Amino acid sequence: MVLELKKPRPIWEIIFSTHHTDIGLLYIIASMVALFAGGGLAMAIRAELFLPGLQVFSGQADFSRFFTVHGTTLLFLWLLPFASGVGNYLIPIMVRYKDMAWPKLNAVAFWIIPPCMFLVWGGFSDTTWNAYPPYSILKAPGPAADMWIVGLKLLGISSVLGAINFVVTILKMKHPDLPLMKMSLFSWAVLATSLMIIVAIPTFAASLIMLYTDRLGVTGFFNPEMGGDPIAYQHLFWFTFHPEVYIFVLPAIGMMYEIIPTFSRKPLFSYYSGVVALIVISIIGFGSWAHHMFAVGMSFTEKTVFMVGTLAAVPSSAMHVFNFLATMWGGRIKFAAPMLFSVGAILLFFSAGAGGVVNTAMPLDFLTHDSYWVVGHFHLFVMGTISLAFTGFIYYLFPLITGRMYDTRLAKVHFVLTFVGIAVIFGVQHILGLYGLPRRVVDYLPIPELIIMNQIASFGGWAIGASYAIFLYNMIKSAMFGKPANPKDPFELGTGVEYYYDYARRDPHH
Amino acid sequence: MGHSTPEWVFIGAVTAILIWVGAESWNVEHSLEYAPPNSETVRVVGQQWFWSFQHADGTQEINELHIKEGIPYRFEIVSNDVVHSFSIPDFAILMDAVPGRVNTVWNVFDEQGEYLIQCREYCGMLHQDMRARLFVEPNTDNATAVSSESEPTISQGSGTAIIIAPGGGEVGSTGSGTMRVVEPRNLTQAPANDSTAATNATDGNTTSSGNASSTASASGPTLSIPAGAATPGNPAYAPDTLTVTKGDVITVTNDDTAPHTVTNGATPGDADAGQLFDTSIMMPAATAQIDTATVEAGDHPFHCTVHPFMTGTLTVQ
Ligand code: HEM
Ligand SMILES: [Cu+2]
Ligand SMILES: [Cu+2]
Repeated sequence: MVLELKKPRPIWEIIFSTHHTDIGLLYIIASMVALFAGGGLAMAIRAELFLPGLQVFSGQADFSRFFTVHGTTLLFLWLLPFASGVGNYLIPIMVRYKDMAWPKLNAVAFWIIPPCMFLVWGGFSDTTWNAYPPYSILKAPGPAADMWIVGLKLLGISSVLGAINFVVTILKMKHPDLPLMKMSLFSWAVLATSLMIIVAIPTFAASLIMLYTDRLGVTGFFNPEMGGDPIAYQHLFWFTFHPEVYIFVLPAIGMMYEIIPTFSRKPLFSYYSGVVALIVISIIGFGSWAHHMFAVGMSFTEKTVFMVGTLAAVPSSAMHVFNFLATMWGGRIKFAAPMLFSVGAILLFFSAGAGGVVNTAMPLDFLTHDSYWVVGHFHLFVMGTISLAFTGFIYYLFPLITGRMYDTRLAKVHFVLTFVGIAVIFGVQHILGLYGLPRRVVDYLPIPELIIMNQIASFGGWAIGASYAIFLYNMIKSAMFGKPANPKDPFELGTGVEYYYDYARRDPHH
Repeated sequence: MGHSTPEWVFIGAVTAILIWVGAESWNVEHSLEYAPPNSETVRVVGQQWFWSFQHADGTQEINELHIKEGIPYRFEIVSNDVVHSFSIPDFAILMDAVPGRVNTVWNVFDEQGEYLIQCREYCGMLHQDMRARLFVEPNTDNATAVSSESEPTISQGSGTAIIIAPGGGEVGSTGSGTMRVVEPRNLTQAPANDSTAATNATDGNTTSSGNASSTASASGPTLSIPAGAATPGNPAYAPDTLTVTKGDVITVTNDDTAPHTVTNGATPGDADAGQLFDTSIMMPAATAQIDTATVEAGDHPFHCTVHPFMTGTLTVQ
């Protein structure tokens, strides 16, 4: 077993383990499988949009299935499980407890995920990841849509179980000598995320059941023909999923708080400001969901309230950016792969936030809503910020998990290619949106500007794809043949800097 | 937090920008919120996968919207099935069409020309083709007088309108389905005067529900479009293979709640699609006739231009 370099263990011992590093490893591997599978779908989507007309797909129906599964996979099977995986790996180490509070529950939470993967991929639904009724209840073909609903339902259960475990581990199992205000910012981020999951997810879990019974025809919650209201679903959906975007991003911010001071070889600028920003966002984040619904016919007052709620959540994100930059300021920065990815993530986080403010300004949203602008906006977050930080963290954890070092040269190529690709594709998609290109279309009018920009975007997308192929090769090759890492200082940061994590923790039975 | 002054300055600057953005947006949006009382009302109906427009004077159009420059228009946007989104990007107009709700949006179109209307909310199989064209035309008559006289309420009944001729198809990539619909009174008076009627002259077989009513008593073969045909997987035509003798006049009835066509060709992209026979768009409950006198013997696949997955075959003996 490559991953257990020093003391090989049979694979089933890891699979049936309830130890937090093993579960963490399983989470990380499962989420990376989802990353590559979902990313593969994106390559096909970019091939289709390279030219107007139909290239790869036979029509909108197949195309819709691809982008639905692409989005569902990357949001729920890559971002969420990866954050849980790293949390599992590190939280017990950071709060100095022997394991998670409930190891068996932890294993259950993980093992719910593979069946969900099977349901989402086996069904290949075309509802879009929003699954708005009445399309999703009256028109979307089954069993695909039903499998999607059940899959997400189970995933919600897994998330909530995992979140409860994290909250209890952090608040109850924390070593008595470790006060809350001395805990690492990553632990704070996981705590904030977990509390948000517990508050946000049940709403969507309930609406999935309502969606399902509506599909069966026994209820009409969202079916206008039976007196229901499709907009009610959108409120329930976004009440979960606007906070969910912070659930995605906070673990990434927490990881950047691990990486940036380490590679700047300088203490964090302000721990206090980081904690405050995390707490504030996890509360204010609940007051902005209907900014996704400016165009559903809300009253002027409602629109104003949600615009203000959204804008109010921005300063706390700005505080993180400031904290990162101020930490780097004057530091002896070493641009190893984890740091490169984190710095890239800061830049894109800032630009993405600026685009978000444009969406939030009500009159401008009527230009950008459901156009490619929105696609560019949120990909700058989910890919440009969150996935970049996560990828950097994979490099960061690599020596801890495998005991070996990755190929640093390939890692730099990976970063450059990815960063350029992301800036190109998602930047151009903003402009495409301003040209009026709607999202979620298999075909577009053969207007020269649209064709050229789509082709540029496709090249950007393929650059990301190529860079991640390099990444995969690097991970596999280095896990097997990489040069053994120095457990105390794998990134050669020099004296005075201790590698953060206690290497001995790798041993499940210590 | 001793060294936190730069942070406070930074947060202050960000907050100031946000307050400015919020205040500006509030201002602009407030002025856009309420339509002037003398607005012309147009009812916009979104339906899988086309737009229809009902003007205050009773005229109805499909996939084309003709309006006058310089006068305020108020759109009442509704949907007959799933959520759509009525969007005219060139004028930054966007409003969802939600079943069970009437959403409104208003605008003064200040520049003549032809603009794209496109659905912005995913609505299923042909979402990408759910386009229409907006024509902003010069305002010849006294706009304010017209709008104050006309009754703003519009009947929602869609079965009364009758199609006289297919229009051009440049906007939809399927190359068809763009129909100009006028009210019955105009039809009986002078259908040939309508400029778009010229496109109908390619062959003599196209009949419409308009002139169908005069010969409806003929008892020949019948073809019906059953309820539910607009949903993929349901029966599209009854029967889906129809055998007739050359010279028979087929009576087509639309028993569904969505508009449909019977158009020759296996897909809208076929080179001869619509050349042999084409009912044009038939609104719900409409009937049309297909005269097979000039259709060669043999098998002729046909489809619906609105829902190309609806197919059938006509065998002429
Ligand atoms: C924190 C990381 C963020 C993530 C992961 C994120 C993600 C997303 C996603 C996935 C969507 C599209 C949803 C859909 O329709 O499918 C979206 C839309 C939107 N985001 Fe963000 N977002 C983030 C931050 C922000 C910020 C900071 C703002 C405001 C300053 C913002 C404002 C908006 C608005 C207004 C929309 C709606 C746009 C529209 O549909 O017209 N977002 N975001
Ligand atoms: Cu949001
Ligand atoms: Cu649509």
